[in-house]
Amino acid sequence: MQTQETGSSKHASANQSRPGDSSRDDVVIETRNLSKVYRDFWGRQKVRALKALDLEVRQGEVFGLLGPNGSGKSTTIKLLLGLLFPTGGEALVFGREATDVQINERIGYLPEESYLYRFLNAEETLDFYGRLFEMPAKLRRERVKQLIEQVGLNWAKRRPLKEYSKGMVRRIGLAQALINDPELILLDEPTTGLDPIGTREMKDMIIDLKSRGKTVVMCSHLLADVQDVCDRIAILHQGELKELGRVDTLLKVRDVTELQVAGLSDKALAEIRSVIDADGAKLQSVDNPTTTLEELFLSIVQDSEARPGRKATGSDS
Amino acid sequence: MEYVTTPPDFFPWLRESGLTFLLVVVGLAKISILFGYLVTAVRRGPVAALSITSKAIAGGVVDLVRISPRRVMALAWLAIKESIGRRVLVVFVIYALVLMFAGLILDPTLRETGRLYVGFVLNAMLYLMLALAWILSAFSLPNDLKQRTIYTIVTKPVRPSEIVLGRMIGFSAVGSMLLAVMALFSFLFVVRSLRHTHAVEAGSQTSLVTGHRHVIDKNQVGEEGGTTDRAHSHSHHVDDPSRGEMTGPSQGELIARVPIHGTLQFTDDKGQPKEKGTNVGKEWTYRSYIKGGSLAAATWRFSDVRAEDFCDAEGKTDSLPITMNLRVFRLHKGTIDRGVLGSIVLRNPDDPDLVSGMITFRAKEFQLDEIDIPRHLLSGKPGPDGRPMRLDLFDDLVSESGELDVQIQCEESQQYFGMAQEDVYLRSRDGSFAMNFIKGCLGIWLQMVIVLSLGVMFSTFLSGPVTMIATLGALVTGMFAGKISALVAGEYLGGGPIEAFVRIVTQRNLVSPLEVGMATTLIEMFDKAILFILWVILKLLPDFQSYSNIDQVAIGFNIPGMLSLQHLLSALAYLSVAMVVGLFFLRTREVAR
Repeated sequence: MQTQETGSSKHASANQSRPGDSSRDDVVIETRNLSKVYRDFWGRQKVRALKALDLEVRQGEVFGLLGPNGSGKSTTIKLLLGLLFPTGGEALVFGREATDVQINERIGYLPEESYLYRFLNAEETLDFYGRLFEMPAKLRRERVKQLIEQVGLNWAKRRPLKEYSKGMVRRIGLAQALINDPELILLDEPTTGLDPIGTREMKDMIIDLKSRGKTVVMCSHLLADVQDVCDRIAILHQGELKELGRVDTLLKVRDVTELQVAGLSDKALAEIRSVIDADGAKLQSVDNPTTTLEELFLSIVQDSEARPGRKATGSDS
Repeated sequence: MEYVTTPPDFFPWLRESGLTFLLVVVGLAKISILFGYLVTAVRRGPVAALSITSKAIAGGVVDLVRISPRRVMALAWLAIKESIGRRVLVVFVIYALVLMFAGLILDPTLRETGRLYVGFVLNAMLYLMLALAWILSAFSLPNDLKQRTIYTIVTKPVRPSEIVLGRMIGFSAVGSMLLAVMALFSFLFVVRSLRHTHAVEAGSQTSLVTGHRHVIDKNQVGEEGGTTDRAHSHSHHVDDPSRGEMTGPSQGELIARVPIHGTLQFTDDKGQPKEKGTNVGKEWTYRSYIKGGSLAAATWRFSDVRAEDFCDAEGKTDSLPITMNLRVFRLHKGTIDRGVLGSIVLRNPDDPDLVSGMITFRAKEFQLDEIDIPRHLLSGKPGPDGRPMRLDLFDDLVSESGELDVQIQCEESQQYFGMAQEDVYLRSRDGSFAMNFIKGCLGIWLQMVIVLSLGVMFSTFLSGPVTMIATLGALVTGMFAGKISALVAGEYLGGGPIEAFVRIVTQRNLVSPLEVGMATTLIEMFDKAILFILWVILKLLPDFQSYSNIDQVAIGFNIPGMLSLQHLLSALAYLSVAMVVGLFFLRTREVAR
């Protein structure tokens, strides 16, 4: 039997791990009070895109950024990549400011729409990005060949990207993000434009990256994808962090108990525990039921709109 | 048009120009830092602005120091691929069409066909390359930002300096390749178009080809053959006119004269030194005139005259070629097609007794007079034996310090010769026309590269269309730098732009003063402000005209190698500034906005 209430308050709230709580050596991304205000030409405030975001992403994690359109997740990614400058606070990647060019040696980035040069073919594209990392020619050739095979584009490697389908462009986009064998991979809507097989392959690739100790930060609208691959997620709404924690913890409905009972008679339904004891039945498990990420997401957004300004408070890990 | 045949001495020029460059760069840097700080202070507060500004400067310096040549080359390669993708090779097709039509339009019967053809092809190349540079550079970076392809670049370990430099180098490589091929075809087009022969007719003249024929002086044709007269700026070799064969190909049309200029001193009709000659009433006072049949003379003092500079192909120096571009002002018509008689006397500046006899010539209007003074000649003053001495021009008439005086007089009374300092020069051994053509192309290349760099620089902070307008503005201003400079210096009548506009509207002439009053004061004030801004812009923008040697190549004057080197260095200075400015704009720009 399972009952469920909506509202984020009923879900497990997740505490962010605090600096000093554990070893800080494995912190890959850290934002402190990170804020971004978009201004017009005259410096007047247009949009407050991100409000005092505190985040930590540790090595080897697959971290998901969720939020509706305009929630600030793309802004967060862009701030982490140095594509935007913070209005307040700071964004640190590998312990250095996000605008520091040197950290890009260890980063791979797959943008939302694989913004690639469409007059180049797959080999040229990967070779070009490899040259930006000053990779030796031999290593570059090997890496290009390996990545093209990995993303399954060997048959089209000499065709210019302008002749590629959207899914093919996404694949080559992923390959360019991995050209330098990065430690941190930022994926913006990684499964957009992919067919179900491509989506599955992408998710497998993310899991594979995790198994190789890489850190992956992804933002996506496709909640099922996030649920499948992410260890932890942050839910943003209107520029504020609304929820943060492990996916399995967040999806547990704490105030509802789910009993799985084998051989329970109809008479015992009213007073379960006593009847179980009296009836001599065996209690197999007592647990909280899980909701879907979609339900969690919708409940947080509804709650946020009902009570604007409330931030994530609770905790997990 | 003023031709620079004698560039300033290299090291003094380098010292002076380098100092000016440093002063301008330091001044600009200070203004930019102050401006950047103030803007940031308004947005983020004075303390944060201090930190942000200092970080931007430090980061910019690091970006400059740590430029990776391999990444720059990768980005340059991308720019080349992008250019090819944008169909820049269409320029070849356009140029091929231009050459095809040139064959139809250019009139080979004109007197100075060499000048016409060379000037045409070089100008066509210049404007095509400038247009190409303008369009290529203006849209590249803005397109990258608009299409967000820049995201995948700046998220790699690429510095803004590398992005700017990579584009500049890439586009310059494309332009250079196009220009090299065009230059080769242009050279072949000119040489093949002008190359012609004549049939020898009746032993004394040639057949009519492209509107001209040549006369053959049989007395000057020996066993080894000789040359025809010089018509339409060229002559032909003739083996044996009596055999009625064809002449050799045209020669002397595509040349690179190396003039040695001197300083001009006038003497009046009483033989007294004067700063200027006679004013014959011409509005353009560039030239002064000397009176014929009098003591009035124009004397040029040439320095560094060395026999080896005037040797022939075999290394022998038998004569001193002098070229004169004298104007003739006639008080009476005389024999109009015969020219006015003039004389040349050579003199050793250290010893007035060492003077040549009078060498006469006839000067015609609007025609170059080229005279070869023989190396061995008789003196104008008698020697100890009362007879003229035999003089060696280079040993006796040139002083120990290498100076030589050349005095020109008009020998016909009632007639005048007009001249300016540049009108008479010693013609040293000619340079190679092909090399001079290449130097002319180098001038085009430098202009193209500067436009590319300006375009890339503007595109780091402006959108594509605005970059186009800004680059065009810089180009046009740079092309008319001389005229704008004269306007700023107050050399034009009618005041500044606003005063000129008022004069047009109120239909006033250029010289009558405006009424004294508040309005005039305001007009003058605004004009001064505008002219000051123009002055600043002029000081910052390159003077494109100074890089253009097209007319000099077309008219057949050698471009000194040192001048090309100076142009190259000054262009490099502009490129480096454009790169640094572009770097700072790109660095302080949020590429994701």
